[in-house]
Amino acid sequence: MAAAVALGLLLSACSVSDPEAPAADGEGGGDATFSIAVGIDPDTFDPAGQTTTTVSNIVDYVVETLVRINDEGEIEGVLADSYEVSEDGLTITFELREGVTFHDGTPFDAEAVVYNFERITDPELTVPQGAAFTAFESATAVDENTVEISLSQPSPGFVSALSATVAGMISPTSVDAEGNSYQEYTRPVGTGPYEFGEYTAGESVTVTKYDDYWGEEPYYETVVFRVVPEAATRESLLLAGQVDMIILPPVSDIEALQANDDVEVLLAESDRTIFIALDNTDPVMQDPRVRQALNYAVDKQAIIDNVLFGAAQELDAPMAPSLFGYCETGTYDYDPERARQLLEEAGAVGASIELLTPSGRYVQDAQAAEAIAGYLREAGLDVTVSTSDFPSFLARVNAPVTENTPEAHLLGWAPAYLDADFQMQMFRQATHPPAGLGTSFYTNPEVEALLAQADVETDPDTREQLYCDASQIIWDDAPWIFLWTQSFPIVYDADITGVGATPVEKFDAMYARPAN
Amino acid sequence: MKGTAAHIVRTLLLSLITLFGVSILIFLMLRVLPGDPARVLAGLNASEEQVARLRAELGLDESLLAQYWSFITGVLTGDLGTSARTSAPVASEIGVRLPATLILAVVATIIGTIAGVTAGVVAAVRRNSIVDHVISSVAMMGVSMPVYWLGLLLILLFAVTLGWLPAAGSGEPLSIVLPAVTLAAFSTALISRMTRASMLEVLGQDYVRTAEAKGAPPTTVIIRHGLRNAFIPILTVISLQFGALLGGAVLTETVFGWPGIGRLLVDSIGARDFAVVQGIVLVYAAAFILLNVIVDVLYVVVDPRIRY
Repeated sequence: MAAAVALGLLLSACSVSDPEAPAADGEGGGDATFSIAVGIDPDTFDPAGQTTTTVSNIVDYVVETLVRINDEGEIEGVLADSYEVSEDGLTITFELREGVTFHDGTPFDAEAVVYNFERITDPELTVPQGAAFTAFESATAVDENTVEISLSQPSPGFVSALSATVAGMISPTSVDAEGNSYQEYTRPVGTGPYEFGEYTAGESVTVTKYDDYWGEEPYYETVVFRVVPEAATRESLLLAGQVDMIILPPVSDIEALQANDDVEVLLAESDRTIFIALDNTDPVMQDPRVRQALNYAVDKQAIIDNVLFGAAQELDAPMAPSLFGYCETGTYDYDPERARQLLEEAGAVGASIELLTPSGRYVQDAQAAEAIAGYLREAGLDVTVSTSDFPSFLARVNAPVTENTPEAHLLGWAPAYLDADFQMQMFRQATHPPAGLGTSFYTNPEVEALLAQADVETDPDTREQLYCDASQIIWDDAPWIFLWTQSFPIVYDADITGVGATPVEKFDAMYARPAN
Repeated sequence: MKGTAAHIVRTLLLSLITLFGVSILIFLMLRVLPGDPARVLAGLNASEEQVARLRAELGLDESLLAQYWSFITGVLTGDLGTSARTSAPVASEIGVRLPATLILAVVATIIGTIAGVTAGVVAAVRRNSIVDHVISSVAMMGVSMPVYWLGLLLILLFAVTLGWLPAAGSGEPLSIVLPAVTLAAFSTALISRMTRASMLEVLGQDYVRTAEAKGAPPTTVIIRHGLRNAFIPILTVISLQFGALLGGAVLTETVFGWPGIGRLLVDSIGARDFAVVQGIVLVYAAAFILLNVIVDVLYVVVDPRIRY
């Protein structure tokens, strides 16, 4: 080892004359580069193929959607100027932004939009997040800038769903262009501020500024996304000045980073709820008093402070506050007395519970599960914690109920668009495994009725109220131990300004620039 | 030499059978693992119909035998299949990443060999001196130190504190220094211990004493008479280490964001991307086997007494 270090010293000594230049000089935007370290190697650049927010985040630089959801949670136009939903909720008419062209010169018009709609709803194409578009029936180009969408049934969440990267608009001609095919779309051509440049597998993705962009011009000529799976290494890259921004540093270092004047820490709120799904069909768990007891038994804030290093917000509803349809529903304050009492009433003291958790999938997941198990043991339950890699974990929780079904498991759920409709899937009989990820096997006829009504309700206020009512019932039924929404930490060079986040666990650094 | 040629042919034939065995083993092992590739690939939000369609698309609804048959016939025609995760041909996925891993392993082997053999020879010549003890203890540390920890430590020192070297990636020539040194740490230690032991044995032989008595310069005695004769076991260790480095690169590549097949393997296992995992394991197996053949040949070159 000494030899190795000595050799390292020797080799690095030769490099003193060649120090790594900082990624962004900030001397005029002309040829400046902004580099971001991310943890995941992209699997696909096809907007339709997206499954992870990190990859969608990269694609967003190149491909734009018709609408987006702004900070106030309202839908606003991007490539659509405006839209109108017919009285019966079956027709949506989009007026498109004029004078927009794709990076390959193809005009962005009604035909292009129709093409894209038909593509993402084509059963021949694998669109993992395509479930949101099942109500789609047909798209028609009324004139050059008007598109009419027909739905088979009213679908209030449909327009929100169009804000997801999955519904990004690609140039129809680019599908047959070099490197691309209909099924394997690898070099996206969109209308965004940046053009797709280069992808080096396992290493980096580069995008370059598109000069004829219709909107505000970004500052940096080039943006490089570097793929660095290890969180500690990402942090080192930033501290060494070799990248300008990173996502997801080691959470245990957040405090130290906050104290460091050279970097800024943004603990962005995300829509990802973390919870312990309880098997509502289990003989012991069937009793709502037991499920409520579990909620009272855990000091969630203490775990957030000490295990998650503050990188989370305690839940006060069965969904994140950023979702349409959220309303503050209640609290289960830490009350070990009450927990014990409820367990005794239900005759559940001493019941044995397996708590299954993934490890490394969510912020401090396995560690949090251990802490929760500790609280549950204090309440008088016999808890064992087990963990596995994510595919095995998923295979177990996504199976129909058997004796092998764990009584409890930790899971995270991040709606791809900010609508309660997406979150409420978790509480419907239709999504009980294996049909979906409603892994608590929770069913309540009242909730089913409210949600079925919300499915087709076109008046936003009524719809919001329906979700609020359903939330209240779910909260009291406690099919989960409601935990927290995990924060999405972004750390960047203090000399940079304009870095933000979206509520769907994405960073927003499109218009980042040097502070002075 | 004729015997040697026959030996090599025999070894190669045996290798093919081994590879065939490996292909069956890895195929079965992957299928025993829980975790539905279609479910993982489709994402948490996908509906059951979409997952089912993906399963059919990937051919996962066929019988195991049918799946293996299409896999093995593909391999025989040079087609390693298609990655379920990226839809790209497995051969090109591996082809893009393999050079990075090979370069890393080669550089680490060179570092490990030079540093390890030097340290081992010095320790043997100065046996039981302070130098010997220091080298032995450091070697002990090198063997027992976790790659992850050493890697992060080196990044902290050379990239963050001193700012001399890139912390991660492979964008510039100097990027290789830290991962290669990290990767070499274990084999340096092992090679130095092997060299020391082997040298000590040889240095006690009559011909070395004869050479010394004849008044040959110490360097000549140590290198020509000593090291040359001690080299066979060292060579074995080095070649085995090279194979181990290919595998050990998994952790190093993750720590340093190095774009090699080690990381691709981890990503692919995490996604239950069967085709890519099978492809990489076959490549590893083939590399190990090839390495053994090469070492067999090298034995003959280094030690003319060896005949097969």
